[in-house]
Amino acid sequence: MSLEKIGDPRDLTHWMGHMETDYSYTYGIAGEKFFKELKENAKIMGTRCKNCNLIYVPPRLFCERCFEKLDTWETVSKRGSVHTYTIANIDIDGSKLKKPIIWAMIKIDNVHGGFVHKLGEVDSKDVEIGMHVEAVFKSRKEREGSMLDIKYFRPAKQKLEKALR
Amino acid sequence: MFAKRRVAVVGAGLTLFRRNLKETGRELAFEASKMALDSAGLTRKDIDCVTLGTAPDAFDGIHMKGENLSDGAGAYRKPYTRVFVGGGTGVFAPNAGWWHVASGLFDTCLVVAEEKMSSCFPHPQYAFTTIFDPIMSRPIGMNLVWIFAIEMHRYMHVHGIKKEQIALVSVKNKGNAMDHPCAQLPAKITVEDVLNSETLVHPVQRLDISPTSDGAAALVLASEKVAKEITDDPVWIDGVGWGIDSTYWTNRDLYYPKYVECAARMAYKMAGIKNPPKEIDVAEPYDPFDYKELHHMEGLLLCKKGEAPKLTEEGVTQRDGDLPINPSGGLLGVGNPIAAAGLMKVCEIFWQLRGEAGKRQVPGDPRTGVAQAWGDLMQYGSVIVLRS
Ligand SMILES: [Zn+2]
Repeated sequence: MSLEKIGDPRDLTHWMGHMETDYSYTYGIAGEKFFKELKENAKIMGTRCKNCNLIYVPPRLFCERCFEKLDTWETVSKRGSVHTYTIANIDIDGSKLKKPIIWAMIKIDNVHGGFVHKLGEVDSKDVEIGMHVEAVFKSRKEREGSMLDIKYFRPAKQKLEKALR
Repeated sequence: MFAKRRVAVVGAGLTLFRRNLKETGRELAFEASKMALDSAGLTRKDIDCVTLGTAPDAFDGIHMKGENLSDGAGAYRKPYTRVFVGGGTGVFAPNAGWWHVASGLFDTCLVVAEEKMSSCFPHPQYAFTTIFDPIMSRPIGMNLVWIFAIEMHRYMHVHGIKKEQIALVSVKNKGNAMDHPCAQLPAKITVEDVLNSETLVHPVQRLDISPTSDGAAALVLASEKVAKEITDDPVWIDGVGWGIDSTYWTNRDLYYPKYVECAARMAYKMAGIKNPPKEIDVAEPYDPFDYKELHHMEGLLLCKKGEAPKLTEEGVTQRDGDLPINPSGGLLGVGNPIAAAGLMKVCEIFWQLRGEAGKRQVPGDPRTGVAQAWGDLMQYGSVIVLRS
């Protein structure tokens, strides 16, 4: 077995450089409305394409399929199912995390799409693909209009809401 | 859809793939380009245009990497284009080179791919954090290995695939790379080694992943007229394909790479391939992770959905099997300088079809080969079909 030794790039003659640039990203037309509802009312919104009979979550201004502009907004469920998940033991630089993080792709009920987010209030060995989960929001005071207004998703406590459409 | 002019590959070049190479990106591009030209018996003077493929600027750390690399790619005072479709770039670059020649605009094209990931300090993973949507995804803290882990998990779940089956790919490819002079991670390992390696991000373990690398690759393309003048063994580009799925990955089912199927269907139609497993003799699907080789074999229609692990267990995908997959050693064994890794696969098919692959040569005089890469945010496919 001859796996390459991981060397330090600084062992070669080199010059250390730095590229510093900060950015101010606009939320956009659809994003502004989505995050306003998330922040003020803890609601998840989607936009409906009548041609394609799809509700897009996260909402978007246009349908990528029929290429029409979308202006029909719907409040969608805060619940969904785990499409797939992973348990991260390491951080981005390869260092060990103190507590593993569970990342999941959550498909929101009765819509086209969902979110990738953390799972909480659940032990990693109890997570299953297909399990129902619900969004846990920060308090109104803490919410600032970002994806982090949702703290995480946890196993759904009540029965599923009726289909929204 | 069908081009009037046939396009041939007439030369190939490849640098060593290593985690940290001393050469700059443009020096790496030069080494690969020079080797490709030499192998075709041509000089820079004979080249009409240059197509360069290289992945995010953030790896090399130069905003406008295409311009920086141009002299190394032989582009001085020539028509020059950089193409970039993330990890799909290495196979897309020769597709772009193909249309430069097939269109009749040029008779020769030098196709170069380069990546120097070691510049990104302390680890290129940091560059990957900014490939996601800044508003929807980045605040959550996504990381590239994690998104692969969730895709791998979905694929395993839908088909009931075991980790032992997937580990066989890593064993095979690192073993195949023992015969590749440029390889970074050739190794004789066992399934147990893979299963016992550290679990990074469940279900991904250390030996499921290809390394980060520095390296470059190059091809020389020529029109039919020029190719017949300079070689008795042209390898024809008979099919090219590329395509993209939804940019929202929450709008896809991760168990199947539809984007690869779209690109493959385009390339197969052009090449007149109706039954891919029967008509394709050797394949180099993109394998940055071991499960991706299986996933992509299915997207390339080389087998039914969920069937790739079984073929691997049966030895069908070994170099001497009925359908050799990644005889080069792939990204898992040779290394993964993103764009250069994709073009390395096309180089391998070229050498296999010319009978010049040395100890890696698959038996039975292969005549048709396919290479594929995958990129952008997991939804871009690029495919090329070569025939001798
Ligand atoms: Zn539509």
